[in-house]
Amino acid sequence: MNYQNEPHGVFFLIDNKSFYASVEAVARGWNPLKIALVVMSEASNTNGGLVLATSPEAKKHYHLQANVSRAREVPQDPQLVVVPPRMNLYIKRNLQINDIFRRFVANEDLLPYSIDESILDLTHSWRLFGKTPREVAIRIQKTVRRELGLYTTVGIGDNPVQAKLALDLYAKHDDDLIGEIHYSTVPEKIWTVDKLTDVWGIANRTATHLNRLGIYNMYELAHVDPYQLKGEMGLIGQQLFAMAWGIDRSQLNQRRGPKNASLGNSQVLPRDYVQQKEIETVIKEVGEQVASRLRHHHKQAGCVSLGIGFSYAASEADGRSGFHQEMRIAPTDQNAEIVAAVIRIFRRNWEGQTVRNVAVYTSRLCASTGLQLNFFESAKAQIKRTKTDHVVDAIRDRFGFTRLVYASSLQKGGTAIERASLVGGHNGGNAYE
Amino acid sequence: MNKDLKVIIERLDAGFKRLPQTRYQVQITDDPYDKTYNFFLNYQHRGRRLKSQPLHSIRQYRLTYLEQLVKGLREHTQLSFIYVGFTGQRWPSNQRLIQGKRLKDE
Repeated sequence: MNYQNEPHGVFFLIDNKSFYASVEAVARGWNPLKIALVVMSEASNTNGGLVLATSPEAKKHYHLQANVSRAREVPQDPQLVVVPPRMNLYIKRNLQINDIFRRFVANEDLLPYSIDESILDLTHSWRLFGKTPREVAIRIQKTVRRELGLYTTVGIGDNPVQAKLALDLYAKHDDDLIGEIHYSTVPEKIWTVDKLTDVWGIANRTATHLNRLGIYNMYELAHVDPYQLKGEMGLIGQQLFAMAWGIDRSQLNQRRGPKNASLGNSQVLPRDYVQQKEIETVIKEVGEQVASRLRHHHKQAGCVSLGIGFSYAASEADGRSGFHQEMRIAPTDQNAEIVAAVIRIFRRNWEGQTVRNVAVYTSRLCASTGLQLNFFESAKAQIKRTKTDHVVDAIRDRFGFTRLVYASSLQKGGTAIERASLVGGHNGGNAYE
Repeated sequence: MNKDLKVIIERLDAGFKRLPQTRYQVQITDDPYDKTYNFFLNYQHRGRRLKSQPLHSIRQYRLTYLEQLVKGLREHTQLSFIYVGFTGQRWPSNQRLIQGKRLKDE
């Protein structure tokens, strides 16, 4: 393989070792690598409790997995510490970490990839900080440890995908918490991976699909006919083939935004909802939350969608796990119109099934530049209604969401008040912005 | 009563449910990274996992202030306090060590 024309750079993919758990350990003065700690959400809709993160010690001793393990799988061991999540604190730490990274790279060469991972393009700047990229990585690790108390793992590669694979496959198991993959080491580092699902971007379904094609490890993936693979799997096949050869032509500083932004919220309900009135209360609340977020972003939506997930029993009886439908509307950011649209979708599709999951999304967003009046009401009434929404927003921004709520939220089944302080569905912060 | 103390006491009282066979402790941590003192309520039923509930973070990073706060808290509760991250530091008023020995998990 001739890699000469492929982009060569120095890329780091840095992630935090057990991020949430480490932040909580540091806040308590404990060493993140020594303490056995789990961050557990015990909100009412988690069915007893959901493990969000585990410290390395807890992973080792109790074989727990973040986001998969349930409270009932966590042993009652007196050595183990259980703490509630604080999402706002983690977001704050993430911003601090990225601020540290910006001392090593220019802003356009830094791409925060998730709450605890960032991609750094050090091609142009690594020489300023050390003799080898590895030395720079150690320096970044030490800076983060000294200033925030957190341990970071670093994947180093000639391009972003190599850095990501180096991080997932090698850095996490390395004593220095650093892994490296280069074009020259692709055969020994990538092709030797025997389990396809260990690789980023390949989960069970993709692995099964590849198995069907007679591909069981990365070596076989790299030596398949790429045209055949593309014919079978489409663009993803081509992408997987490139990954097996460690090829990635993306340029970090040329950002691509999403083609079509959408905005929405979903929630898992704490119990089975059967009555139409209760379900509609929740749909209304979620719809209002989405509308409020649209207004905060100065956007209007031209399309709303409602997704309803049935409870296990209902989906078995029904054969479907739920339903999902979209509807075009005149662009709006008003509570009443968005709620009316989703309620209409709900009544059209719902046939009495018990509900466990509600999602409202809006798409076809456009800038909110004005109000489209209609002929059927007086202009005054329409303007007044719009203003009401904004006044409610302003009051909530200033005094907090729960200071002003609709009476319907106090009815049985309403969840808005309890969820007002959640971030990403977990404890910590105001979710209406 | 100052605002920090009020917040701590409010949350402490809400969390201190006096469950049987349960040990309650107030943990105070010196957080040198954030320059804060963090308060937690730790509680553990016999033989079960330790739970640690955050109470408050004090932004005023001065020992004199902390001492005054701890004194106020002492008047309110009889719970035992454990200190983490204070190795080598002394209370300003009487020069006594705050934390005896460094914990093995620090």
